[in-house]
Amino acid sequence: MSFGQLGVVALVVYVAGLAGIAAVARRARRDASPADHFLAGRELGVFVLFLTLYATAYSGNSLLGYPGEAYRRGFSWIMATGFMMSIVVAFHALVPRLRPVAVREGFVTPGDWVRHRFGAEPAGGALRLAVAVLMIVALANFLFAQLKAMGVMAEYVTGGIVSYEMGIGLLAATVLFYETLGGMRAVAWTDAGQAILMLVGLSALLAWLLGEAGGIASLSQAVGAVRPEALEVPNAREKANWFSTIVLMGLASVVYPQAIQRIYAARNGRTLRRSMALMTFMPITTTLVVTLIGLAAIPRFADLGGVEADSVMPRLLEQWAAAGPAAEVAAVLVFLGALAAIMSTADSVLLSLGSMLAEDLLGRAHRDAAATRLGKRIAAAVMVAMAVLALVARDVTLWGLIELKMELLIQCVPVFLLALHWRGLRAGPALAGVVVGSLLAVGGVVFGEKRPAGIHIGVLGLVVNFAIAAGLSLRRSR
Amino acid sequence: MRRRLRRALLAGIGGLYLLSVPWYRSGGETGGSVFGLPDWVAVAIGCYAAVAVLNAAAWLLTDIDEDGT
Repeated sequence: MSFGQLGVVALVVYVAGLAGIAAVARRARRDASPADHFLAGRELGVFVLFLTLYATAYSGNSLLGYPGEAYRRGFSWIMATGFMMSIVVAFHALVPRLRPVAVREGFVTPGDWVRHRFGAEPAGGALRLAVAVLMIVALANFLFAQLKAMGVMAEYVTGGIVSYEMGIGLLAATVLFYETLGGMRAVAWTDAGQAILMLVGLSALLAWLLGEAGGIASLSQAVGAVRPEALEVPNAREKANWFSTIVLMGLASVVYPQAIQRIYAARNGRTLRRSMALMTFMPITTTLVVTLIGLAAIPRFADLGGVEADSVMPRLLEQWAAAGPAAEVAAVLVFLGALAAIMSTADSVLLSLGSMLAEDLLGRAHRDAAATRLGKRIAAAVMVAMAVLALVARDVTLWGLIELKMELLIQCVPVFLLALHWRGLRAGPALAGVVVGSLLAVGGVVFGEKRPAGIHIGVLGLVVNFAIAAGLSLRRSR
Repeated sequence: MRRRLRRALLAGIGGLYLLSVPWYRSGGETGGSVFGLPDWVAVAIGCYAAVAVLNAAAWLLTDIDEDGT
Protein backbone atom coordinates (compact mmCIF):
# COMPACT_ATOMS: atom_id res chain seq x y z
CA MET A 1 0.00 0.00 0.00
CA SER A 2 1.44 3.41 -0.95
CA PHE A 3 1.83 6.26 1.54
CA GLY A 4 -1.08 8.12 -0.06
CA GLN A 5 -3.39 5.09 0.09
CA LEU A 6 -2.44 4.47 3.72
CA GLY A 7 -3.25 8.12 4.37
CA VAL A 8 -6.69 7.80 2.78
CA VAL A 9 -7.50 4.74 4.92
CA ALA A 10 -6.30 6.52 8.08
CA LEU A 11 -8.34 9.60 7.18
CA VAL A 12 -11.51 7.56 6.66
CA VAL A 13 -11.04 5.69 9.98
CA TYR A 14 -10.37 8.99 11.78
CA VAL A 15 -13.45 10.73 10.36
CA ALA A 16 -15.61 7.70 11.20
CA GLY A 17 -14.26 7.76 14.77
CA LEU A 18 -15.21 11.43 15.13
CA ALA A 19 -18.72 10.70 13.88
CA GLY A 20 -19.03 7.87 16.44
CA ILE A 21 -18.00 10.17 19.32
CA ALA A 22 -20.53 12.76 18.14
CA ALA A 23 -23.30 10.16 18.19
CA VAL A 24 -22.43 9.18 21.79
CA ALA A 25 -22.28 12.86 22.79
CA ARG A 26 -25.69 13.41 21.24
CA ARG A 27 -27.15 10.64 23.43
CA ALA A 28 -25.52 12.20 26.53
CA ARG A 29 -27.25 15.56 26.11
CA ARG A 30 -29.82 16.55 28.74
CA ASP A 31 -31.89 19.10 26.83
CA ALA A 32 -31.79 21.41 23.80
CA SER A 33 -30.79 24.52 25.77
CA PRO A 34 -27.83 26.66 24.66
CA ALA A 35 -26.09 26.00 28.02
CA ASP A 36 -26.20 22.26 27.31
CA HIS A 37 -25.24 22.54 23.62
CA PHE A 38 -22.61 25.30 23.83
CA LEU A 39 -21.21 24.57 27.34
CA ALA A 40 -21.83 20.80 27.79
CA GLY A 41 -24.15 21.54 30.72
CA ARG A 42 -21.19 23.15 32.61
CA GLU A 43 -19.91 19.70 33.58
CA LEU A 44 -16.38 19.47 32.12
CA GLY A 45 -13.98 17.77 34.56
CA VAL A 46 -10.18 18.28 34.88
CA PHE A 47 -9.09 15.67 32.32
CA VAL A 48 -11.45 16.68 29.51
CA LEU A 49 -11.26 20.41 30.30
CA PHE A 50 -7.46 20.37 30.26
CA LEU A 51 -7.29 18.43 27.00
CA THR A 52 -9.95 20.54 25.28
CA LEU A 53 -8.21 23.75 26.39
CA TYR A 54 -4.96 22.31 25.08
CA ALA A 55 -6.36 21.09 21.76
CA THR A 56 -8.15 24.40 21.24
CA ALA A 57 -5.10 26.53 22.01
CA TYR A 58 -2.80 24.51 19.77
CA SER A 59 -4.14 24.74 16.27
CA GLY A 60 -3.19 24.68 12.62
CA ASN A 61 -1.27 27.85 13.38
CA SER A 62 0.85 26.01 15.95
CA LEU A 63 1.31 22.89 13.87
CA LEU A 64 1.96 24.47 10.46
CA GLY A 65 2.42 28.21 11.08
CA TYR A 66 4.93 28.00 13.94
CA PRO A 67 7.33 25.52 12.29
CA GLY A 68 7.06 27.71 9.18
CA GLU A 69 7.93 30.83 11.16
CA ALA A 70 10.83 29.01 12.93
CA TYR A 71 12.09 28.06 9.47
CA ARG A 72 11.88 31.71 8.33
CA ARG A 73 13.28 33.42 11.46
CA GLY A 74 15.65 30.85 12.98
CA PHE A 75 16.32 30.41 16.71
CA SER A 76 14.69 33.71 17.72
CA TRP A 77 11.35 31.93 17.21
CA ILE A 78 11.99 30.43 20.63
CA MET A 79 9.85 33.45 21.62
CA ALA A 80 6.82 31.35 20.63
CA THR A 81 7.28 29.11 23.68
CA GLY A 82 7.18 32.24 25.83
CA PHE A 83 4.15 33.83 24.25
CA MET A 84 2.10 30.62 24.33
CA MET A 85 2.88 30.38 28.04
CA SER A 86 1.95 34.04 28.55
CA ILE A 87 -1.63 33.11 27.69
CA VAL A 88 -1.92 30.88 30.77
CA VAL A 89 -0.20 33.60 32.84
CA ALA A 90 -2.58 36.32 31.63
CA PHE A 91 -5.59 34.18 32.59
CA HIS A 92 -4.75 35.03 36.23
CA ALA A 93 -6.23 38.48 35.57
CA LEU A 94 -9.45 37.05 34.14
CA VAL A 95 -10.46 33.69 35.59
CA PRO A 96 -10.69 34.34 39.36
CA ARG A 97 -12.97 37.35 38.78
CA LEU A 98 -15.01 36.26 35.77
CA ARG A 99 -15.77 32.65 36.71
CA PRO A 100 -17.82 33.35 39.90
CA VAL A 101 -19.97 35.96 38.09
CA ALA A 102 -20.42 33.65 35.10
CA VAL A 103 -21.65 30.79 37.30
CA ARG A 104 -23.94 33.05 39.33
CA GLU A 105 -25.47 34.73 36.28
CA GLY A 106 -25.50 31.69 33.96
CA PHE A 107 -23.33 33.20 31.19
CA VAL A 108 -23.10 31.37 27.87
CA THR A 109 -21.24 33.83 25.61
CA PRO A 110 -18.56 36.51 26.20
CA GLY A 111 -21.21 39.12 25.39
CA ASP A 112 -23.14 38.05 28.51
CA TRP A 113 -20.40 39.62 30.62
CA VAL A 114 -20.63 42.89 28.69
CA ARG A 115 -24.44 42.84 29.05
CA HIS A 116 -24.15 42.14 32.78
CA ARG A 117 -21.48 44.76 33.50
CA PHE A 118 -22.57 47.59 31.18
CA GLY A 119 -26.19 46.73 30.34
CA ALA A 120 -27.69 49.45 32.52
CA GLU A 121 -25.73 52.24 30.79
CA PRO A 122 -26.91 54.00 27.59
CA ALA A 123 -23.79 52.99 25.62
CA GLY A 124 -23.89 49.41 26.93
CA GLY A 125 -25.71 47.97 23.90
CA ALA A 126 -23.32 49.60 21.43
CA LEU A 127 -20.33 48.37 23.43
CA ARG A 128 -21.66 44.80 23.42
CA LEU A 129 -22.16 45.02 19.66
CA ALA A 130 -18.66 46.43 19.07
CA VAL A 131 -17.05 43.67 21.16
CA ALA A 132 -19.16 41.02 19.39
CA VAL A 133 -18.14 42.33 15.95
CA LEU A 134 -14.42 42.32 16.84
CA MET A 135 -14.62 38.82 18.31
CA ILE A 136 -16.62 37.45 15.39
CA VAL A 137 -14.20 38.93 12.83
CA ALA A 138 -11.29 37.40 14.76
CA LEU A 139 -13.05 34.02 14.96
CA ALA A 140 -13.91 34.03 11.25
CA ASN A 141 -10.24 34.77 10.50
CA PHE A 142 -9.24 31.91 12.81
CA LEU A 143 -11.65 29.51 11.11
CA PHE A 144 -10.33 30.55 7.70
CA ALA A 145 -6.77 29.74 8.84
CA GLN A 146 -7.84 26.30 10.13
CA LEU A 147 -9.60 25.48 6.87
CA LYS A 148 -6.51 26.41 4.86
CA ALA A 149 -4.40 24.21 7.13
CA MET A 150 -6.90 21.32 6.80
CA GLY A 151 -6.64 21.46 3.00
CA VAL A 152 -2.83 21.45 3.08
CA MET A 153 -2.66 18.53 5.53
CA ALA A 154 -5.26 16.41 3.73
CA GLU A 155 -3.41 16.87 0.44
CA TYR A 156 -0.09 15.82 1.96
CA VAL A 157 -1.35 12.91 4.07
CA THR A 158 -3.04 11.28 1.07
CA GLY A 159 -0.18 11.98 -1.31
CA GLY A 160 -2.47 14.17 -3.43
CA ILE A 161 -5.26 11.55 -3.76
CA VAL A 162 -7.41 13.98 -1.78
CA SER A 163 -6.80 17.46 -3.21
CA TYR A 164 -6.57 20.71 -1.17
CA GLU A 165 -10.09 21.61 -2.29
CA MET A 166 -11.56 18.18 -1.53
CA GLY A 167 -9.81 18.11 1.83
CA ILE A 168 -11.38 21.40 2.86
CA GLY A 169 -14.83 20.24 1.74
CA LEU A 170 -14.65 16.83 3.43
CA LEU A 171 -13.14 17.97 6.72
CA ALA A 172 -15.27 21.12 7.02
CA ALA A 173 -18.36 18.94 6.56
CA THR A 174 -17.08 16.51 9.22
CA VAL A 175 -16.52 19.30 11.78
CA LEU A 176 -19.90 20.79 11.01
CA PHE A 177 -21.55 17.38 11.43
CA TYR A 178 -20.16 16.48 14.83
CA GLU A 179 -20.39 20.02 16.21
CA THR A 180 -24.05 20.31 15.17
CA LEU A 181 -24.89 16.85 16.44
CA GLY A 182 -23.09 16.82 19.78
CA GLY A 183 -22.28 20.47 20.62
CA MET A 184 -19.59 21.23 23.24
CA ARG A 185 -19.70 17.63 24.57
CA ALA A 186 -18.73 16.23 21.15
CA VAL A 187 -16.17 19.00 20.65
CA ALA A 188 -14.57 18.48 24.08
CA TRP A 189 -14.48 14.67 23.80
CA THR A 190 -13.04 14.70 20.29
CA ASP A 191 -10.58 17.40 21.43
CA ALA A 192 -9.39 15.10 24.22
CA GLY A 193 -8.61 12.27 21.79
CA GLN A 194 -7.11 14.68 19.28
CA ALA A 195 -4.86 16.25 21.94
CA ILE A 196 -3.36 12.88 22.86
CA LEU A 197 -2.79 12.06 19.18
CA MET A 198 -1.08 15.43 18.68
CA LEU A 199 1.23 15.07 21.70
CA VAL A 200 2.37 11.57 20.79
CA GLY A 201 2.77 12.44 17.12
CA LEU A 202 4.89 15.54 17.66
CA SER A 203 7.17 13.84 20.17
CA ALA A 204 7.74 10.96 17.75
CA LEU A 205 8.59 13.31 14.87
CA LEU A 206 11.05 15.33 16.97
CA ALA A 207 12.72 12.15 18.21
CA TRP A 208 13.22 11.01 14.61
CA LEU A 209 14.56 14.41 13.50
CA LEU A 210 17.02 14.68 16.39
CA GLY A 211 18.11 11.09 15.83
CA GLU A 212 18.74 11.81 12.15
CA ALA A 213 20.58 15.06 12.94
CA GLY A 214 22.73 13.44 15.67
CA GLY A 215 21.40 15.52 18.59
CA ILE A 216 20.65 19.16 19.29
CA ALA A 217 24.28 20.34 19.01
CA SER A 218 24.63 18.79 15.55
CA LEU A 219 21.29 20.28 14.55
CA SER A 220 22.44 23.77 15.59
CA GLN A 221 25.68 23.31 13.62
CA ALA A 222 23.78 22.14 10.54
CA VAL A 223 21.45 25.16 10.76
CA GLY A 224 24.44 27.51 11.19
CA ALA A 225 26.24 25.98 8.21
CA VAL A 226 23.30 26.64 5.89
CA ARG A 227 22.03 29.89 7.37
CA PRO A 228 24.42 31.48 9.94
CA GLU A 229 22.04 34.38 10.66
CA ALA A 230 19.51 31.89 12.10
CA LEU A 231 21.80 31.55 15.16
CA GLU A 232 22.40 35.28 15.65
CA VAL A 233 20.99 37.37 18.50
CA PRO A 234 18.11 39.44 17.10
CA ASN A 235 18.62 43.18 16.60
CA ALA A 236 17.00 45.85 18.82
CA ARG A 237 13.86 46.06 16.70
CA GLU A 238 13.39 42.29 16.77
CA LYS A 239 13.94 42.18 20.53
CA ALA A 240 11.20 44.80 20.98
CA ASN A 241 9.02 42.71 18.68
CA TRP A 242 9.76 39.61 20.81
CA PHE A 243 8.45 41.31 23.95
CA SER A 244 5.58 42.93 22.06
CA THR A 245 4.52 39.50 20.75
CA ILE A 246 4.45 38.11 24.31
CA VAL A 247 2.14 40.99 25.33
CA LEU A 248 0.01 40.73 22.18
CA MET A 249 -0.52 36.98 22.34
CA GLY A 250 -0.92 36.81 26.12
CA LEU A 251 -3.52 39.54 26.40
CA ALA A 252 -5.40 38.91 23.16
CA SER A 253 -5.70 35.16 23.77
CA VAL A 254 -7.29 35.82 27.15
CA VAL A 255 -10.34 37.21 25.36
CA TYR A 256 -10.60 34.36 22.86
CA PRO A 257 -14.34 33.60 22.94
CA GLN A 258 -13.74 29.84 22.85
CA ALA A 259 -11.39 30.11 25.85
CA ILE A 260 -13.88 32.24 27.78
CA GLN A 261 -16.61 29.68 27.09
CA ARG A 262 -14.42 26.90 28.48
CA ILE A 263 -14.05 28.95 31.67
CA TYR A 264 -17.85 28.96 31.85
CA ALA A 265 -18.05 25.24 31.01
CA ALA A 266 -15.77 23.97 33.82
CA ARG A 267 -17.46 21.82 36.46
CA ASN A 268 -16.12 24.02 39.31
CA GLY A 269 -13.31 26.37 40.31
CA ARG A 270 -11.01 23.58 41.47
CA THR A 271 -11.29 21.86 38.09
CA LEU A 272 -10.42 25.09 36.33
CA ARG A 273 -7.45 25.81 38.60
CA ARG A 274 -5.95 22.37 38.08
CA SER A 275 -6.50 22.48 34.32
CA MET A 276 -4.71 25.83 34.14
CA ALA A 277 -1.80 24.49 36.22
CA LEU A 278 -1.41 21.64 33.73
CA MET A 279 -1.84 23.92 30.69
CA THR A 280 1.15 26.02 31.69
CA PHE A 281 3.54 23.16 30.82
CA MET A 282 2.13 22.55 27.35
CA PRO A 283 4.19 25.19 25.50
CA ILE A 284 7.29 23.19 26.51
CA THR A 285 5.89 19.92 25.16
CA THR A 286 4.32 21.46 22.05
CA THR A 287 5.52 24.93 20.99
CA LEU A 288 9.16 24.23 21.79
CA VAL A 289 8.86 20.93 19.93
CA VAL A 290 7.33 22.47 16.79
CA THR A 291 9.96 25.25 16.90
CA LEU A 292 12.74 22.64 16.90
CA ILE A 293 10.94 20.82 14.09
CA GLY A 294 10.88 24.06 12.04
CA LEU A 295 14.59 24.63 12.74
CA ALA A 296 15.39 21.05 11.70
CA ALA A 297 13.83 21.86 8.34
CA ILE A 298 16.40 24.63 7.60
CA PRO A 299 19.26 22.31 6.57
CA ARG A 300 16.82 19.94 4.80
CA PHE A 301 15.01 22.40 2.53
CA ALA A 302 16.69 25.34 0.84
CA ASP A 303 14.86 28.59 0.18
CA LEU A 304 11.22 27.89 0.92
CA GLY A 305 9.97 31.45 0.77
CA GLY A 306 6.72 33.11 1.86
CA VAL A 307 3.69 30.88 2.21
CA GLU A 308 5.68 27.79 1.10
CA ALA A 309 7.46 27.72 4.47
CA ASP A 310 4.14 26.87 6.15
CA SER A 311 4.46 23.42 4.56
CA VAL A 312 7.76 22.42 6.23
CA MET A 313 5.95 20.10 8.67
CA PRO A 314 4.21 17.98 6.00
CA ARG A 315 7.37 18.00 3.89
CA LEU A 316 9.35 16.60 6.84
CA LEU A 317 6.70 13.95 7.38
CA GLU A 318 6.95 12.91 3.74
CA GLN A 319 10.71 12.47 4.17
CA TRP A 320 10.14 10.47 7.35
CA ALA A 321 7.63 8.21 5.62
CA ALA A 322 10.22 7.36 2.94
CA ALA A 323 12.52 5.85 5.63
CA GLY A 324 10.65 2.50 5.72
CA PRO A 325 7.27 0.80 6.39
CA ALA A 326 7.30 1.46 10.18
CA ALA A 327 8.23 5.10 9.62
CA GLU A 328 5.47 5.33 7.03
CA VAL A 329 2.81 4.24 9.55
CA ALA A 330 4.29 6.57 12.21
CA ALA A 331 4.29 9.49 9.76
CA VAL A 332 0.64 8.89 8.92
CA LEU A 333 -0.18 8.92 12.66
CA VAL A 334 1.65 12.24 13.08
CA PHE A 335 -0.24 13.62 10.10
CA LEU A 336 -3.46 12.64 11.82
CA GLY A 337 -2.21 14.26 15.03
CA ALA A 338 -1.57 17.50 13.18
CA LEU A 339 -4.91 17.27 11.43
CA ALA A 340 -6.52 16.60 14.80
CA ALA A 341 -5.00 19.79 16.21
CA ILE A 342 -6.41 21.78 13.33
CA MET A 343 -9.87 20.25 13.48
CA SER A 344 -10.10 20.56 17.25
CA THR A 345 -9.54 24.29 16.96
CA ALA A 346 -11.93 24.66 14.03
CA ASP A 347 -14.73 22.91 15.95
CA SER A 348 -14.27 25.13 19.01
CA VAL A 349 -14.20 28.27 16.89
CA LEU A 350 -17.33 27.18 15.05
CA LEU A 351 -19.17 26.48 18.29
CA SER A 352 -18.26 29.93 19.66
CA LEU A 353 -19.17 31.61 16.39
CA GLY A 354 -22.62 30.03 16.39
CA SER A 355 -23.43 31.07 19.95
CA MET A 356 -22.04 34.60 19.58
CA LEU A 357 -23.74 35.30 16.27
CA ALA A 358 -27.10 34.14 17.62
CA GLU A 359 -26.92 35.76 21.03
CA ASP A 360 -24.45 38.66 21.02
CA LEU A 361 -25.03 39.94 17.49
CA LEU A 362 -28.67 39.07 16.85
CA GLY A 363 -29.64 39.40 20.51
CA ARG A 364 -31.51 36.09 20.99
CA ALA A 365 -32.07 35.24 24.67
CA HIS A 366 -29.73 32.40 25.64
CA ARG A 367 -32.34 30.47 27.61
CA ASP A 368 -34.36 30.15 24.41
CA ALA A 369 -33.87 26.74 22.71
CA ALA A 370 -34.51 28.46 19.35
CA ALA A 371 -31.22 30.32 19.92
CA THR A 372 -29.43 26.96 19.78
CA ARG A 373 -31.00 26.13 16.41
CA LEU A 374 -30.27 29.60 15.07
CA GLY A 375 -26.67 29.36 16.29
CA LYS A 376 -26.20 26.04 14.49
CA ARG A 377 -27.60 27.40 11.23
CA ILE A 378 -25.51 30.54 11.32
CA ALA A 379 -22.39 28.51 12.15
CA ALA A 380 -23.06 26.32 9.10
CA ALA A 381 -23.40 29.41 6.87
CA VAL A 382 -20.14 30.90 8.20
CA MET A 383 -18.35 27.57 7.72
CA VAL A 384 -19.43 27.44 4.07
CA ALA A 385 -18.39 31.07 3.49
CA MET A 386 -14.95 30.56 5.06
CA ALA A 387 -14.44 27.30 3.14
CA VAL A 388 -15.09 29.13 -0.14
CA LEU A 389 -12.66 31.88 0.91
CA ALA A 390 -10.01 29.29 1.81
CA LEU A 391 -10.34 27.84 -1.70
CA VAL A 392 -9.64 31.15 -3.42
CA ALA A 393 -7.19 32.88 -1.03
CA ARG A 394 -4.27 30.48 -0.67
CA ASP A 395 -1.41 32.99 -0.66
CA VAL A 396 -1.64 34.24 2.92
CA THR A 397 0.84 33.02 5.56
CA LEU A 398 -0.69 31.52 8.70
CA TRP A 399 1.40 33.73 11.00
CA GLY A 400 0.24 36.80 9.07
CA LEU A 401 -3.36 35.77 9.78
CA ILE A 402 -2.67 35.22 13.48
CA GLU A 403 -1.13 38.66 13.93
CA LEU A 404 -4.00 40.39 12.13
CA LYS A 405 -6.54 38.60 14.32
CA MET A 406 -4.69 39.41 17.56
CA GLU A 407 -4.27 43.10 16.71
CA LEU A 408 -8.07 43.38 16.66
CA LEU A 409 -8.93 40.99 19.47
CA ILE A 410 -6.60 42.70 21.93
CA GLN A 411 -8.80 45.83 21.71
CA CYS A 412 -11.49 43.94 23.70
CA VAL A 413 -9.13 43.52 26.67
CA PRO A 414 -10.16 46.65 28.68
CA VAL A 415 -13.84 45.62 28.46
CA PHE A 416 -12.91 42.42 30.30
CA LEU A 417 -9.76 42.92 32.36
CA LEU A 418 -10.14 46.59 33.29
CA ALA A 419 -13.89 46.21 33.89
CA LEU A 420 -13.35 43.15 36.11
CA HIS A 421 -10.79 44.95 38.28
CA TRP A 422 -12.14 48.52 38.33
CA ARG A 423 -15.73 49.44 39.06
CA GLY A 424 -15.17 52.97 37.76
CA LEU A 425 -14.98 51.93 34.07
CA ARG A 426 -17.98 53.29 32.12
CA ALA A 427 -19.50 51.94 28.90
CA GLY A 428 -19.13 55.14 26.81
CA PRO A 429 -15.40 55.59 27.48
CA ALA A 430 -14.80 51.85 27.05
CA LEU A 431 -16.56 52.01 23.66
CA ALA A 432 -14.52 55.07 22.64
CA GLY A 433 -11.34 53.21 23.60
CA VAL A 434 -12.31 50.09 21.63
CA VAL A 435 -13.19 52.15 18.53
CA VAL A 436 -10.01 54.28 18.57
CA GLY A 437 -7.77 51.28 19.36
CA SER A 438 -9.33 49.23 16.56
CA LEU A 439 -9.06 52.08 14.05
CA LEU A 440 -5.41 52.49 14.95
CA ALA A 441 -4.77 48.77 14.51
CA VAL A 442 -6.64 48.57 11.19
CA GLY A 443 -5.05 51.82 9.99
CA GLY A 444 -1.58 50.47 10.77
CA VAL A 445 -2.28 47.31 8.77
CA VAL A 446 -3.86 49.20 5.83
CA PHE A 447 -1.08 51.82 5.63
CA GLY A 448 1.75 49.30 6.09
CA GLU A 449 2.81 50.61 9.54
CA LYS A 450 2.18 47.34 11.39
CA ARG A 451 5.17 47.40 13.76
CA PRO A 452 6.59 50.83 14.53
CA ALA A 453 9.99 50.21 16.22
CA GLY A 454 9.11 46.51 16.37
CA ILE A 455 6.03 47.01 18.59
CA HIS A 456 2.75 45.64 17.21
CA ILE A 457 0.34 48.38 16.21
CA GLY A 458 -2.37 46.48 18.10
CA VAL A 459 -0.35 46.75 21.34
CA LEU A 460 0.06 50.50 20.79
CA GLY A 461 -3.66 50.68 20.01
CA LEU A 462 -4.35 48.92 23.31
CA VAL A 463 -2.30 51.49 25.23
CA VAL A 464 -4.34 54.31 23.64
CA ASN A 465 -7.53 52.30 24.19
CA PHE A 466 -6.73 51.87 27.92
CA ALA A 467 -5.84 55.54 28.31
CA ILE A 468 -9.09 56.70 26.69
CA ALA A 469 -11.29 54.22 28.62
CA ALA A 470 -9.69 55.00 31.99
CA GLY A 471 -9.18 58.74 31.41
CA LEU A 472 -12.73 59.48 30.26
CA SER A 473 -14.24 57.25 32.98
CA LEU A 474 -12.28 59.13 35.65
CA ARG A 475 -13.39 62.48 34.19
CA ARG A 476 -17.03 61.41 34.27
CA SER A 477 -16.84 60.27 37.86
CA ARG A 478 -15.65 63.72 39.02
CA MET B 1 -0.20 34.28 53.05
CA ARG B 2 -1.43 32.34 50.00
CA ARG B 3 -2.34 35.57 48.30
CA ARG B 4 1.01 37.19 49.06
CA LEU B 5 2.91 34.14 47.82
CA ARG B 6 0.82 34.10 44.64
CA ARG B 7 1.60 37.77 43.99
CA ALA B 8 5.33 37.12 44.56
CA LEU B 9 5.20 34.24 42.06
CA LEU B 10 3.46 36.43 39.47
CA ALA B 11 6.06 39.18 39.98
CA GLY B 12 8.79 36.56 39.49
CA ILE B 13 7.14 35.49 36.25
CA GLY B 14 7.22 39.10 35.01
CA GLY B 15 10.95 39.28 35.79
CA LEU B 16 11.63 36.01 33.97
CA TYR B 17 9.79 37.27 30.89
CA LEU B 18 11.98 40.39 30.81
CA LEU B 19 15.09 38.26 31.22
CA SER B 20 14.06 35.85 28.45
CA VAL B 21 14.60 38.49 25.74
CA PRO B 22 18.35 38.81 24.99
CA TRP B 23 18.62 42.54 25.80
CA TYR B 24 22.00 41.76 27.37
CA ARG B 25 23.54 40.89 23.98
CA SER B 26 24.13 43.01 20.88
CA GLY B 27 22.21 42.11 17.73
CA GLY B 28 24.15 39.95 15.26
CA GLU B 29 26.30 38.19 17.91
CA THR B 30 26.21 34.40 18.02
CA GLY B 31 27.58 33.89 21.53
CA GLY B 32 28.65 30.60 23.05
CA SER B 33 26.89 27.27 23.12
CA VAL B 34 24.95 25.77 26.07
CA PHE B 35 23.54 22.22 25.75
CA GLY B 36 24.16 22.47 22.01
CA LEU B 37 22.08 25.64 21.63
CA PRO B 38 23.16 29.28 21.25
CA ASP B 39 23.50 30.52 24.87
CA TRP B 40 20.82 33.24 24.51
CA VAL B 41 18.39 30.55 23.30
CA ALA B 42 19.26 28.32 26.28
CA VAL B 43 18.67 31.28 28.65
CA ALA B 44 15.25 31.92 27.07
CA ILE B 45 14.26 28.24 27.36
CA GLY B 46 15.45 28.18 30.99
CA CYS B 47 13.35 31.28 31.73
CA TYR B 48 10.24 29.77 30.14
CA ALA B 49 10.72 26.47 32.01
CA ALA B 50 10.93 28.45 35.26
CA VAL B 51 7.84 30.46 34.27
CA ALA B 52 5.96 27.18 33.79
CA VAL B 53 6.84 25.97 37.30
CA LEU B 54 6.05 29.31 38.98
CA ASN B 55 2.82 29.73 37.04
CA ALA B 56 1.60 26.23 37.91
CA ALA B 57 2.29 26.98 41.58
CA ALA B 58 0.47 30.31 41.27
CA TRP B 59 -2.57 28.58 39.78
CA LEU B 60 -2.67 26.03 42.57
CA LEU B 61 -2.66 28.96 45.04
CA THR B 62 -5.45 30.79 43.20
CA ASP B 63 -8.77 31.14 45.01
CA ILE B 64 -11.84 31.00 42.84
CA ASP B 65 -14.74 31.96 45.10
CA GLU B 66 -17.19 29.34 43.94
CA ASP B 67 -14.85 26.46 44.90
CA GLY B 68 -16.76 23.52 46.20
CA THR B 69 -19.93 24.33 44.32
